[in-house]
Amino acid sequence: MKLGVFMSDYRTGADVVDRLSADKLGIIFVGNGIYRATLKEGGSADPILQKSATFYVLTEDLESRGFTAANLAGNIKAVTYSDVVDLIFNDYEKIIWI
Amino acid sequence: MATTKMGFIIKSLPYKTEASRLAMTHAIASQTVEIYLEDGDMVEPVVCFIGDGVLNCLKNQATAKHYDITSIEMHIRNSLLLDLKVLYCKEDLDRFGIKEDALIMDAEELGGETKAQIVPYSEIQKEMDSVNHLQFF
Amino acid sequence: MGKLTMGVFPGLVGSLSLDFSVKLAEAAVKKGHTVDYWVSSNATMLSKKGQRSFKDYSTLYKTLEELFKTGNFKACACEACAEARGFHKEDLMEGWIRKSMDWYLASSFDADRVLMIGGE
Repeated sequence: MKLGVFMSDYRTGADVVDRLSADKLGIIFVGNGIYRATLKEGGSADPILQKSATFYVLTEDLESRGFTAANLAGNIKAVTYSDVVDLIFNDYEKIIWI
Repeated sequence: MATTKMGFIIKSLPYKTEASRLAMTHAIASQTVEIYLEDGDMVEPVVCFIGDGVLNCLKNQATAKHYDITSIEMHIRNSLLLDLKVLYCKEDLDRFGIKEDALIMDAEELGGETKAQIVPYSEIQKEMDSVNHLQFF
Repeated sequence: MGKLTMGVFPGLVGSLSLDFSVKLAEAAVKKGHTVDYWVSSNATMLSKKGQRSFKDYSTLYKTLEELFKTGNFKACACEACAEARGFHKEDLMEGWIRKSMDWYLASSFDADRVLMIGGE
């Protein structure tokens, strides 16, 4: 399946996403999930970023928390709500919120 | 005539939020959805408990006694009575040391015949692959 | 163009998850898609009329009013969830309807995409 996952929290949900398997997986960090895309707690990037997936972060939620796209690793793409709509309809056939 | 298959994946603990209970009531609502659809069309739910969500499936929940509300146990029994497919993740049950005799496995006392199934996560992944729409609670 | 059915649980005040859902609906409708929007649990408060605008709180009702005008946005609140919270049909914001949960499942039946934003 082609699965898009909204990760909305920093501290929870990784265990669920870790076990998910999909032919094509997209992880979109929203809400407090954006900290997974920006922080290096203890010097290490969030382990979820090791997963075989395409990573996105919602610009509006990134900037609302004091970060910009400049804070993102190279494999994470900043997207807008408009972009998210296109991802939902064009790239992923199932979408879930964690 | 068409069937839309929907996965209800419950990962949340019971009672602190409404998530697991509402997952059950939304899944059970599939039994009355026909009033909105063409003849022969249907929504087929599959309910899977994973992670901490398996703790919803313990029997002897006494919320009716202490809080005067319907327990999640009763919602699971009602879903089995209505022949919904209900799956529990074996690895997560094992992690908590929960055995089958501690779980809500049937709705026999309500006259139901369908039983819940304890399955490896790989079977739940197959269900997630097969549904049209997937929802996590 | 496609149809997106959304189900949403988080409350009107205290979490921006509900804001996310409304902004996503707005973006989808702007792109020509149709959106069916279902609220359960604490999210039903979004359907209550008479909300006031304060700087500390989101004013999602204004976006909803614009969305209803497009004709490509339908919104329905869980009737039991609303009644349990003490607001009734006469308290409903214009444009909204109230039904039971089978409305959401019926909408999902022919939706191209379904997004459930569950409880917090």
